Amino acid sequence: MSVLALTDIHRSFEPGVPVLDGVDFSVEAGEVVGLLGRNGAGKTTLLHIAMGMLRQQQGTVEVFGLDPHRRPVEVKRRIGFVSENQILPAFLKVREVVELHRSLFPSWDDEMAARLIDRFGLRPGARIKTLSKGQARQVALLCALCHKPELLLLDEPAGGLDALARREFLETSIQALSNTGTTIVFSSHYLSDVERLADRVVMLHDSKVLIDNSLDELHESFSIALVPHRPQGTSDALLALPECLGVRVRTDAVHAVFRLDPDDACALITKQLGVTDALCRTAGLEEMFIEIAGGER
Amino acid sequence: MLIVVDPSSGVPVFRQVMEQVRFHIASGLLQAGDELPPTRSLSAELGVNPMTISKAYNLLERDGVLERRPGKPLVVAALDPEEIELEKLEQLRSNLSGAVRAARQLRLNPGEAIKVFRQMLEGDKED
Repeated sequence: MSVLALTDIHRSFEPGVPVLDGVDFSVEAGEVVGLLGRNGAGKTTLLHIAMGMLRQQQGTVEVFGLDPHRRPVEVKRRIGFVSENQILPAFLKVREVVELHRSLFPSWDDEMAARLIDRFGLRPGARIKTLSKGQARQVALLCALCHKPELLLLDEPAGGLDALARREFLETSIQALSNTGTTIVFSSHYLSDVERLADRVVMLHDSKVLIDNSLDELHESFSIALVPHRPQGTSDALLALPECLGVRVRTDAVHAVFRLDPDDACALITKQLGVTDALCRTAGLEEMFIEIAGGER
Repeated sequence: MLIVVDPSSGVPVFRQVMEQVRFHIASGLLQAGDELPPTRSLSAELGVNPMTISKAYNLLERDGVLERRPGKPLVVAALDPEEIELEKLEQLRSNLSGAVRAARQLRLNPGEAIKVFRQMLEGDKED
């Protein structure tokens, strides 16, 4: 059974403007999935639907095989959630926020909470409103981790944090991962964080899942081809190839992303377009993202 | 043991770890019987997913480079000296592949390219 299964999810906030338009994907136990997409691509909407905080207009969601909308308490007890826009009660003290979560979750681990408070250097008596953004996010992470969730949903968890706070956040999540084998789905614009943590990448684009591959596949079996501008119609010819994910016309050359390793991509371009001087290479996630998100298809 | 990864390089992190362990064995920094850091601590130090490290370790074990003994740390396997010599050349080969590609794109004749390599290797200050 999948930990999270989304089938044909549709959701819009304005008629005729779908945010999610038939999204399918499922997550198995122990997977760490990085959710990518431009602002407004529907990442937050998707995570809210998985949490049962928002209802899809069509399609089914199952978390641990349960409908999060019908069985909210059972499902939420087994999930940890941290979001960039999470609001903790400003006038409560750190200790009181922790106590509140402890009372809600039967599986709360006091020892782990004490360890994280110590590790983050949080003052239990400090009021939430006096904390820095990074500290407040640490409190949120602590509250999301200490009931030992089977599924951790992180919505842009490192947004607005400095590099060190981000790394600490990442390390804490990694430790939770090694200790309990938690399944993680997280969205992030920090693609280097995604490359550190994720084993699988799902990219939302134009309200659909455009890419759903292991990170290793993205690094080794996808490539960027730089194809010289002459002959006319190069970009249309590239777009017509089923393995081509997107094309960007730049001044230096036509950039095309292929669902093929560099050798196969170059061979295909030579065979189909008769172009022999295309340069094909693998690329990191950030470059890949920019080429795909910025291209036409 | 020195392992450095660059997650944004486009080379999967598990391959970077495998290559560096192999390199350290070829260079003699790691010797037969030396212990490797546990998956958990190495992944925390590098800030990468623990599955990535265990994947690298498992593949190195499958290749006979590392040895797992029940309940004990993973260690470098005993390799015969011939294998280590081969591994050295293999490491050099993979490091040179970028240079070979550049030489081809520059349409250098092989003799010229080899001359440059020899000069750099011997620290010759002729040019």
